[in-house]
Amino acid sequence: MSDQTQMTAAQSAATKAAVMNQVPGADIAGQSPLHHADFATLAEQGQKIGGIHLCEHKLLGHLTLRCNPNNPEQLAAVERVLGVALPLTPLTSVVKGEYSIRWMSPDEWLILVPGLATFDIESAFRDEMPGHYSLVNSSGGSTVLEISGDDVLSLLQKSVPVDLHITAFPVGKVVSTLFAKTTVTLRRLDEKRFELVIRRSFSDYVWLWIQDASLEYGLVIEV
Amino acid sequence: MTQANRLNSGGRIDRSTSFTFTYNGKKYQGYKGDTLASAMLANGIDVVARSFKYSRPRGIIAAGAEEPNAVLQLGASEATQVPNVRATQQELFDGLVSSSTNGWPSVDTDVMGVLGKIGGNMMPPGFYYKTFMFPESLWETYESMIRKAAGMGRAPRERDPDTYDTMNQHCDVMVVGAGPAGLVAALTAARGGARVIIADEQNEFGGSLLNSNEPLNGKPAVEWVQEVVAELSQHENVTLLPRSTVNGYHDHNFLTINERCTDHLGDIAPVKKVRQRMHRVRTKWVVLATGAHERPLVYANNDVPGCMISTAVSTYINRYGVVPGNDLVVMTTNDYGYQAALDWAAAGRNVVAIVDTRETSTGERAQQARELGLNIMLSAGVIEVQGSKRVTSVSVAPLNADGSQVVGSITKLSADTVATSGGWSPVIHLSCHTGCRPVWNESVVGFLPGPTVQKQLTAGGINGQYETATVLKEGLAAGQQALANIGLVAADVVLPEVKTLSLTPPMSLFHIPHIKPTSQAPKQFVDYQTDVTAAGIEIACREGFEAIEHVKRYTAMGFGTDQGKLGNINGMAVAAKALNKSIPETGTTIFRPNYTPVAFGAIIGRHCGALFEPKRFTAMHSWHVEQGALFEDVGQWKRPWYFPKAGESMQQTLNRECLAVRNAVGILDASTLGKIDIQGKDAREFLGRVYSNAWAKLAVGKCRYGLMCGEDGMVFDDGVTACLGENHFVMTTTTGGAAHVYEWLELYHQTEWPELEVYFNTVTDHWSTATITGPNSRKLLAELTDADVSNDNFHFMDWKQITVGGVPARVFRISFTGELSFEINVQANYGMAVWEQLIDAGEKYGLTPYGTETMHILRAEKGFIIAGQDTDGSVTPYDLGMGWCVSNQKPFSYIGKRGMSREDCVRDNRKQLVGLKTKDPKQVIPEGSAAILDPNAAMPIPIEGHVSSSYWSECLGHSVAMGFIKDGLNKMGDTVYYPLADGSMIEAEICSPIFYDPKGERQNV
Repeated sequence: MSDQTQMTAAQSAATKAAVMNQVPGADIAGQSPLHHADFATLAEQGQKIGGIHLCEHKLLGHLTLRCNPNNPEQLAAVERVLGVALPLTPLTSVVKGEYSIRWMSPDEWLILVPGLATFDIESAFRDEMPGHYSLVNSSGGSTVLEISGDDVLSLLQKSVPVDLHITAFPVGKVVSTLFAKTTVTLRRLDEKRFELVIRRSFSDYVWLWIQDASLEYGLVIEV
Repeated sequence: MTQANRLNSGGRIDRSTSFTFTYNGKKYQGYKGDTLASAMLANGIDVVARSFKYSRPRGIIAAGAEEPNAVLQLGASEATQVPNVRATQQELFDGLVSSSTNGWPSVDTDVMGVLGKIGGNMMPPGFYYKTFMFPESLWETYESMIRKAAGMGRAPRERDPDTYDTMNQHCDVMVVGAGPAGLVAALTAARGGARVIIADEQNEFGGSLLNSNEPLNGKPAVEWVQEVVAELSQHENVTLLPRSTVNGYHDHNFLTINERCTDHLGDIAPVKKVRQRMHRVRTKWVVLATGAHERPLVYANNDVPGCMISTAVSTYINRYGVVPGNDLVVMTTNDYGYQAALDWAAAGRNVVAIVDTRETSTGERAQQARELGLNIMLSAGVIEVQGSKRVTSVSVAPLNADGSQVVGSITKLSADTVATSGGWSPVIHLSCHTGCRPVWNESVVGFLPGPTVQKQLTAGGINGQYETATVLKEGLAAGQQALANIGLVAADVVLPEVKTLSLTPPMSLFHIPHIKPTSQAPKQFVDYQTDVTAAGIEIACREGFEAIEHVKRYTAMGFGTDQGKLGNINGMAVAAKALNKSIPETGTTIFRPNYTPVAFGAIIGRHCGALFEPKRFTAMHSWHVEQGALFEDVGQWKRPWYFPKAGESMQQTLNRECLAVRNAVGILDASTLGKIDIQGKDAREFLGRVYSNAWAKLAVGKCRYGLMCGEDGMVFDDGVTACLGENHFVMTTTTGGAAHVYEWLELYHQTEWPELEVYFNTVTDHWSTATITGPNSRKLLAELTDADVSNDNFHFMDWKQITVGGVPARVFRISFTGELSFEINVQANYGMAVWEQLIDAGEKYGLTPYGTETMHILRAEKGFIIAGQDTDGSVTPYDLGMGWCVSNQKPFSYIGKRGMSREDCVRDNRKQLVGLKTKDPKQVIPEGSAAILDPNAAMPIPIEGHVSSSYWSECLGHSVAMGFIKDGLNKMGDTVYYPLADGSMIEAEICSPIFYDPKGERQNV
């Protein structure tokens, strides 16, 4: 076996990991994990007033990067690819244009990009990143929900055990935590606006839970 | 209907809003602001229960959480039945339906009255132990009898129509109790900028201030309460929780609160509203301002309706405008007891006498009573009351200086109400929850919270402080201390002015003597709910139970739903006296959560019905549903089990699905299998360490099956891993084992081999997998791809990156059926698109969807194991006949290698996996059947093994089974027998587990 640490990015990309464009042509429509919920119809026909607003950001590119936060070459490579540095402070995130990066664990970041940009970014990483790292496309495995509204904190208090007070959970903070009986990656977008990255197979459970837990506030679906 | 005991004015009730309620089938009127108890007393309802052992009539004693008797059944319909509701805490609403929970046919005309007397004699203390535990075989009979007699309410038989939920809360300071101490503490903390939650079990804040006429700042106390609540409500960081009982105080300053959001509105919560909510609070500091409960005194017949605690009398008068009788006798050991008489007199009713056990009482409350001309009898006690369903008269007798003996003749007084005060018991329950042992305090005559490891402060009544001025000061101090503890600057609160009344010290007296010895005197109740008497405690002590914990268990004292809030201290005092010890020497039992009973619904919250457990679905689930699939739970996944057509039995479906795979082509949704992406230069080395077989030479583009063992050498998972690139693999695991395998890899990487450069990522949900299998599978695949999928170009155990139906895919040519197979993996958002194309294109090839059951049959025909079905944590790869999947030549060891070489793992006669062919080909051995060698052997017959997988094989025309037999691999051709529960016996021959295509040619075509 060769020593990957010594390898250049180009060598690594060419021979060491399998990267493929996983998105078909535009003639084949993707189905997000919540396709069956038909948010488009619910947005049109459902209630327009309520304390909870929900929309899905579907078919985005989800990339999980694992690398060494103490390796300056890797950090520089990430910045070259994404135009923004990895957030190294635990539980923080950065946003640059259509790219957003969430700190997940000391050597793990979740990067969201436009769905069609995924392969190019993966390829760019393979071109740029030196040393030991992994980049995994998990776009099919999760989806993104955005919830907001006057009662969004109450809804989340029913669902997650973490402290959501603005001083404990400022805008931009990210946690991966329990959500009812499943897990979410929760990020605060605004005082009363949150992003939930949820797993595909649990998405129906999350959807059912949000409907049930928001009954007393009223749920408005948006597209 | 008249409310004979209702005053025309006063109290915190709204006389303009009248509510109708039902008690035991009869309709009554009450007002908004009433509790059920106050409304019952207003209507002159004396009897609310029959007692547990003796079936004695019982009335309302208290006005709060400590009430032992008025524990009622609520609910206007079967579905809304609620047991264990304290009438003293249930707010009245229009249409409330309640009933007493024991006494049949009613508490007033009780057919068990006579039985009760017999029952009492039959049930001395310790009856659980002495009588009912033996013979053990009859316990169930006894239990049902006791339960019926006890009659503590019942659960509904129909589904609760209401919803409940949970809310997680975080704060700096959690204040428990919104009486004077709690309100000041919360206000102080809030002004200092702390995040505060203040909870109180009552419907409005104010605590004891709601029950008295004591002015603050020269105005009614409630005005001050309203000012404080108004200010607290203005603070953004303050959460006010009325109707919320802090039921549990757990480790690490975690508290659970039961908020009754809509219990006061009706039988069912308003549409879309939550009935009860559990708040799960994590706080930096806790301020317990839980107050104190007044202790009743123990005297003969002290359970006759009309006997109450003195604060309850004041509360009903001052807060609810209800005087619960006409002629009052007060018995007290302290100054506070006088207040009931003062309030009674102010309500215009007759105070017959104030019986004070002390020799002197010069405190200001006593002076007020003297000024009113009330009859005060010093150095005396009410030794007995007379009456059955209501007190009719009381016997008062002089007592000696320490209250241990009657020293003079009895005076009989006519009265219908007896209010007693034996002092206060601080409400230390929550502090006890965290393991804090209470400490007896002689001067306050009560147990106080002991040292604690929690971040807990206490203020007011819980500290044995009962004068409002002191209580307010303690609240301020606690609030300031909390601020200091969390690093905030102390805030100031100007306390309201309140007059401090002078007091004569209380007397430490609990049990009022009778002229007869306790054992012969009329019953003197200590614990009303479990019918424990002073005599019963004395018997327990006489029989050798010296530890208070034993006395408690022997007598059942404190075992009721009230946890002995009123009775425990008196019981300890009686036991101490009987044991000739002091109360601190006797000690106390402690309390555990919950403070008051909580509905199961409030605990389960929303985690019920469809949300009981997450259901996981694949990207093709809706297609399966449309095709009428039945589903099998595999872990949390819903996997298609089989796809019956109209009129088909399950077996007919399975037969059709199996034949389709063997003769044409089938399609299976295999998306649920665990998938783990592995990258890094040491990925290959890592695989070699966690799998039992070798991985060094697996080339890019190749797949290999692997067995995963624990340290003990026992197989726990298996699956195929593909080499995607030199340093890139994707591992598959069983559906149910995915999370465990992922954690297993991370565990070993992080704790044992952190030097290996490898990263793991779970991609189970990212890939959708459609498995097409059967002789026609290649033709089908070829139709949807431009790639060359011929046998020459796409070998068995290869994988290829190709496009299927226009979607980029990784296709693995691996087989779990023994047929030519392709597992098509695509990004899950496109799983349905590919699946539907396969279905459309496959029609002409006889493509048949099949589920997990057919998958199980097909693999069993091939002798392929299922980890978790054919393994149970006790089998090594060798036991499975899979020694070919173990490599002991690897330079580095692997997990399980040493375990497999243990003496027990290499001995002879281990159970080994074999095939089993029934002599009668039509017979299918039930899975789990035990194997024996000699059907005529004498009992007990040695068990040789068991069946782990067994099915009808339509393809083969006979049953197929796999199972374990001791030394089975050396017993090929031998006969074993499987006795069935019906007495019959299945005879089977031990054979190779590979029943179908033993040379494995079909998957290589």
